[in-house]
Amino acid sequence: MSTETRTVMVRMRNVYKYFGQLRALNNVSLDIYDGEKVVVIGPSGSGKSTMLRSINKLETVDAGDIIVDGININDEKTNINRVREEIGMVFQSFNVFPHMTVRENLNLAQMVVRKRTKEEAAAISKELLTKVGILEKADQYPGKLSGGQQQRVAIARALAMKPKLMLFDEPTSALDPEMINEVLDVMKKLAKEGMTMIVVTHEMGFAREVADRVIFMDFGAIIEEGTPEHFFKNPTEERTKLFLSQIL
Amino acid sequence: MAQIKSNKAQTRKTVIAIGDGPAIPSKKDAGLFTAWRVSLVGAIAIIAFLVTFKQDPYLAILKFVPDGILITFQVTVESIILALVIGLFTGLGRISKNRIINGIASVYVEVIRGIPLLVQLFYIYFALGRVVNLPAMVSAIIAMGICYGAYMGEIFRAGIESIHKGQMEAARSLGMTNAQAMRHVILPQAFKTILPPIGNEFVALLKDSSLVSILAVSDLLRRGREFASQSFNYFETYTMVALVYLVITLFLSKIVSIMEERISVD
Ligand SMILES: Nc1ncnc2c1ncn2[C@@H]1O[C@H](COP(=O)(O)OP(=O)(O)O)[C@@H](O)[C@H]1O
Ligand SMILES: [Mg+2]
Repeated sequence: MSTETRTVMVRMRNVYKYFGQLRALNNVSLDIYDGEKVVVIGPSGSGKSTMLRSINKLETVDAGDIIVDGININDEKTNINRVREEIGMVFQSFNVFPHMTVRENLNLAQMVVRKRTKEEAAAISKELLTKVGILEKADQYPGKLSGGQQQRVAIARALAMKPKLMLFDEPTSALDPEMINEVLDVMKKLAKEGMTMIVVTHEMGFAREVADRVIFMDFGAIIEEGTPEHFFKNPTEERTKLFLSQIL
Repeated sequence: MAQIKSNKAQTRKTVIAIGDGPAIPSKKDAGLFTAWRVSLVGAIAIIAFLVTFKQDPYLAILKFVPDGILITFQVTVESIILALVIGLFTGLGRISKNRIINGIASVYVEVIRGIPLLVQLFYIYFALGRVVNLPAMVSAIIAMGICYGAYMGEIFRAGIESIHKGQMEAARSLGMTNAQAMRHVILPQAFKTILPPIGNEFVALLKDSSLVSILAVSDLLRRGREFASQSFNYFETYTMVALVYLVITLFLSKIVSIMEERISVD
C-alpha cells in the first residue's frame, strides 16, 4: 500500500507550543493515516500530552498547522466543537462524571451534542457497554467502580460519539497493575476493528502487538519514529536507546 | 456575613472560619452542640416563662410580632432567590476568560464587599426610588438581593473551581460547548459543595434582613419597634424580639448542619 493513496486523519506541520518560556512542542510535524495505530513514548515532560491535547485543541498551539480530517482546527472559522465530536479522548485520570450513572455518562453527549433521541442513545450506550464488558454496571455510579472499570466507561463514553479518531493519554498509568489488561484488551479490540488511534503509553507489549508506528519524543520534539520492531531491535538515536533501556 | 472560603484559603493548612453567622453545630464539635442546645432550650424556656408569668406586656408582644416574622421570612426567601440568580451569573463572570465580563463581575463583588450593608440598602433603595416607584418591600428585596448576590457569586465561583479541571476537559472533548458542560457536568457537581455555604448565607441574610425595618418594611424588628413606641415597653419588647430571632436562627442553623452532614456522607 503506497502512502499516497491513504487518507490523512491528522496532519501536524511545524507545530510549536510554549508555556511561558518553556517550549513544550518544538517543530512537530506528523501525519497520521486513517486506520493507523500510533504509539507515542518519551520521558515525562517531553510533550506527549501536549501534542495529543493540541489535536483536539484542549491546548491551543502558538505556531504551525493542525489539520484533522481535512479541517484546520486553528482556523478562526472552525467550530471546534464539531471537530471534537469526531475525536474521542481518554485521559489518565478517567474523568468519568461522578454525579451520573454509567449509562447517563454515555447518554449525555450523545443527546446534547449528537442530538440523538433518548432511545437512540440508550441503544448505542448498551451496545458499547457490552463491548467494554461492563453492561451489568450500567446503573451504578462511577464511585462504586474500580479504576479499570471507570476507564472502560470512559472509553465507551468516547466511542458512543462514533468518533473517527481516538486519543489515549496514558490510559493505564493510574491503574493498579491487575487492572491494566482489562483496559488494554478493550483497546486491542478497538484496534482490530480498524479505529484510528494515537496512544501515549509505556506498555511496550501493547505497542509491539498493536502499533503500526511508534514515535519517540523528547524535549517537545519527535526524535525518532519507526515500527515497533525497529524500536526493539535497532533504535538509532542515543536518547531513544537510553530511554528504552530505562523502561524495558 | 458568613465567611467565604476561597480556593486559596482551602490550600492553606488552617482555615480560620469565624464569621458572625450563628455557630453551626456539628457532631465533631460536642461543645458547640451543647451550646446550641442550651441556647435553644434556654431561649424557649425564657419566652415561656415571661409569657406565662409576666403576661403584661410579654403576651401582648408575642401576639403582636408574628406578622413581622412572616415578613422577615418573605424578605429572606425572596432576597436569597434573587441573590442566587445574581450569584450564579457573578460566579460565572468571575471565572470567565472574557475580560469585560470578568471585569464587570469582579468590580461588582469588590464594590459590594467594600460598602457596609446598611449603606448599600439606603443607597439602592433611594436610587431605585428615583427611577421607579416600587413598594418598599420590593425595593428592600432588590437591595438585599444585590448585596448578597456578590457573596453568593464568590460561593459559586469557589464551588465551580473546586471541580477537577478534568471534568471540564472531558465534557469539552466530547464536543460540548462551555455552556453545555457547565450546565450538565460542572454545576450539578458544584451544587453539592455550595449548598452548605448557601445555607449559611440564608441564616446570615435572615439576621441582616432586620436592617430592612429602616426602609418601612414591617418585619419582625419593625413590628417590635411599633409595639414599643406605642406601649413604651422598649426593654421588654426588644427582649422578646431578640429571643424570637434567636430561636429562628438556632433552628435554621441546625437544619443547615444536618444538610451539611448528609452531603458529606455520600
Ligand atoms: N498547563 C501547563 N502550564 C505550564 N506548563 C505546562 C502545562 N502543561 C504542560 N506543561 C509543561 O510542558 C511540558 C510538556 O508537558 P506534557 O506534554 O504534559 O509532557 P508529557 O505528557 O510528555 O509528560 C512539561 O515541562 C510540562 O511541565
Ligand atoms: Mg503526559
